[in-house]
Amino acid sequence: MTTAREQILQAVRDASGRGEHTADSVEQILRESEMLLDGIDICRPALRLIDIVDSFMARVSGPKVGASIDRIASLSQLPTAVARYLAANAKPAAITLQPTSPLLGLDWVAAGVTPVRDRDDGVVVGLARWGIAETGSIVVHSAPDMPILHNFLCSTHIVAVPTQRILRHLEDYAEAARIAGDPAPRNACLITGASGTTDIEGSLVKGAHGPRELCVILVDGVVQV
Amino acid sequence: MEKQSGKPRVGLFATCLVDLSRPQVGFAALRLLEDAGCSVEVPLDQTCCGQPAFNSGATGQAAELARQLIRQFEPFDHVVVPSGSCAAMIKVHYVEALADDPAWLPRAEALAAKTWELMSFLVDVRGYRPTGLVLETTATYHDSCSGLRELGISRQPRDLLAAVEGLELRPLPGNDVCCGFGGTFCVKYAAISNAIVGEKAAAVEATGARLLLGGDLGCLMNTAGKLSREGSSVRAMHAAEVIAGMGKGPAIGEEG
Amino acid sequence: MQAAGSSFKSRAGAALADATLKSAIDRTAGNAETKRAAAVGEFPQFDEARKLGRRIKDHVIVHLEHYLIEFERNALRSGAKVHWARTSEEASRIVVEICRSAGAKRVTRSKSMLGEEIGLPHALEAAGIERVETDLAEHIVQLAGETPSHIVWPAMHKTREQVASLFNEKHASPPASESIPDLVHSARQDLRQKFLTADVGISGANFLIADTGAVCTVTNEGNAELTTTPPRIHIVTAGIEKLVPSIDHAFALLRLLVRSATGGDFTQYTTFHCGPKRPGDADGPEEFHIVLVDNGRTRMLAEGLAAMLRCIRCGACMNHCVVYRQIGGHAYGATYPGPMGSVLTPAIDGLANSRDLPNACTLNGKCAEVCPVEIPLPTLLRGWRDRSWKEGLEPLTVRTGIGIWAYFARHPFFYRLATAVAVHWMRLFRKGGWIAWMPLAGGWTQHRDFPAPQRATFIAAYKAMRKGAPNDNGT
Ligand code: SF4
Repeated sequence: MTTAREQILQAVRDASGRGEHTADSVEQILRESEMLLDGIDICRPALRLIDIVDSFMARVSGPKVGASIDRIASLSQLPTAVARYLAANAKPAAITLQPTSPLLGLDWVAAGVTPVRDRDDGVVVGLARWGIAETGSIVVHSAPDMPILHNFLCSTHIVAVPTQRILRHLEDYAEAARIAGDPAPRNACLITGASGTTDIEGSLVKGAHGPRELCVILVDGVVQV
Repeated sequence: MEKQSGKPRVGLFATCLVDLSRPQVGFAALRLLEDAGCSVEVPLDQTCCGQPAFNSGATGQAAELARQLIRQFEPFDHVVVPSGSCAAMIKVHYVEALADDPAWLPRAEALAAKTWELMSFLVDVRGYRPTGLVLETTATYHDSCSGLRELGISRQPRDLLAAVEGLELRPLPGNDVCCGFGGTFCVKYAAISNAIVGEKAAAVEATGARLLLGGDLGCLMNTAGKLSREGSSVRAMHAAEVIAGMGKGPAIGEEG
Repeated sequence: MQAAGSSFKSRAGAALADATLKSAIDRTAGNAETKRAAAVGEFPQFDEARKLGRRIKDHVIVHLEHYLIEFERNALRSGAKVHWARTSEEASRIVVEICRSAGAKRVTRSKSMLGEEIGLPHALEAAGIERVETDLAEHIVQLAGETPSHIVWPAMHKTREQVASLFNEKHASPPASESIPDLVHSARQDLRQKFLTADVGISGANFLIADTGAVCTVTNEGNAELTTTPPRIHIVTAGIEKLVPSIDHAFALLRLLVRSATGGDFTQYTTFHCGPKRPGDADGPEEFHIVLVDNGRTRMLAEGLAAMLRCIRCGACMNHCVVYRQIGGHAYGATYPGPMGSVLTPAIDGLANSRDLPNACTLNGKCAEVCPVEIPLPTLLRGWRDRSWKEGLEPLTVRTGIGIWAYFARHPFFYRLATAVAVHWMRLFRKGGWIAWMPLAGGWTQHRDFPAPQRATFIAAYKAMRKGAPNDNGT
């Protein structure tokens, strides 16, 4: 008895009227697939601004992403920037930190912010690996120090991203992630705004299931992610 | 003889709808083509391009009609059709209908290459621009789908209409949205077709224009028929009639 | 899915009579149409991007066997389990089995049209497993006991007022008002605990990434991640056509998908899921299953419908379809409505059960014009008509009508006689220049007037003119 797998593959083979792939043809397929992307620049949007960081910031705060943006000189200023955002938006100064050492090592109390245990619908502060100027996305990868749920259960999502790690296009992220490590992360999540829905009459409402608002803070200088 | 005079020999395919229900469009085409310096002939054995069969899935019958029309029209330098959808049938779909017929496929391709929708032939091939036309009215233009999407006709009729003095062309919101005619669709799925043309008629009415123009008699009959049923006073005509100076004549559904 | 025995025409008729439905459809689809136009307008590279999108999908379809094997190998390497299903029943059975053997009581599901296609909601219910739809629209549809009416906005057929009364009835704490933000908030409250207590999370896939074995999901709500992260098991069901060579190729297609679907530039949450939880990971499922589903796709490949396998399920074709806009999704009586559905349904459910769908189309070409992967939908629809004709599925009235007409059209002499008779006969029914009723023309005259023909046919009038009767142009 042939398995479903064999039957499906056989049906595909029959439909294409070809024999099984040989090593040679596999090489050829790979080359072809890479060649498809050769002229990618004419198939993707050009950045509006010359500087990629300016572009990123404009995108993040623009109407399509609709997030807040801030920029600080070094990671040590993050607690103050977070406190400022919370005060400006009349939020309680209690935050849940992503359990990653660069954030845990900061002096939050001095800035008047109290780190608390994970709370439903609270404020979460995290550190992203990359930012993408084309879309205004920030990228998080699952890891021992990055619970994916952190990014989804909060009401206010504050994410720091190193200025040095702003990339131009989506493909540049793909490349950077490949260089950063094999194998691919269990979960790579490109976040481009707060949780939204247009499911009722096509009208946009923020805070569908996840964050109601997103705040991106660019961090200049050297940051370990 | 005509060849010697340097005039291109044009075969006019009037279309079955024009033949049956609005000959004036055929005469308008005749007049325009002659005015544009062509020697025009009307093969008297012409019938239908086969579109109703083709779009009903009766490809075999469509192919037979395609062969007949190819035979009738292949002697000409150009074939001109006052309808986007019938022109597209010949220009785009004959090769599909005859795809399995190696003897006829090249003939279908050759005919396709010299077949034109009327407006596009006048503007793109002949560089024609009418003169001395006056028609004091407000009009709006509906782009029929086949002409627009299969043949890229959009600018040509507007260019020609722009030469008519006194004619104010008002934009039609949704000018590129189907009117719900769709050939046999309008009787096979009459209720759906009616809902679609109801919206089209309302959009036409809302422009406040007094005259609806278009390049396909089927769509015009559909929309004009709906407008009439709704008691609208908007009149409808094939754009060729206006461009040929027949704009003061009876509109669709008016007694001549 | 639909009441047994109900025909396309009767469902369409009921939809046409429902003014609330029409306004619900126009609100969302109209919005989508406007936003897509703006997004495409701001993306001057759109035409080139479309060509690339089409080439990527064609490349994968040509080399589908290679990519399936490559994807499977990399998925297995990531720790995923890969299952293959030939039919919808087989696919559902595999999913239910995984749930059963895990002792699952509650599963959350993130919207997947493939899940609908294989009848998963029904199969889970039949197995006594509680199913929680987490996409807001699917949640609405589930509460209402309905099926999706659109592939991107499954609850497009519902107005806010209807959603409000539904939530009032079904939510533990009803919405504060009929305003859309209050309705969204009410659903958020209702679903939050359910996300966290599910045993299995089921998602679809927007793309399967061959070179890593990852599965890409895109949502704006973030419900895919909330569905797939907390439970112990994540199951993905995906059609075999979802493959792309790499994440770069997925990005090229995502640019098209998002703009065409919602008019956004990028989805809020674009996630690549690759295998189960890794050692030390803070969260994630312990088991990760991928079910690769054929269900008619290899048949489509073999039977000239390969182009349809390019479809990335953006829904633009239905938003722009004059027929869909009048009758909505349910009238189609199948999982996939609109132009793409009218091509897919005969392939999935059989042409004999669905011959109306490819016929109920004006072939106006708008769908193909907006399709981001250049699928020639009208050509494929006509292809089904051709097949329906050849298989004798077209009704006798149509066959006879076309047959008689074609006979005359092929015999110009008789055709001339017949048209002359027709002109005279039709003119008998005219009042002024219009015909309001005439035998055999009910399809037309029930709704519209028919312009009475002018006195003679064009050919007759032309002949007369040539014989030297100037100016008698037949009017
Ligand atoms: S057929 Fe084209 S337009 Fe329609 S859903 Fe598929 S990709 Fe989108």
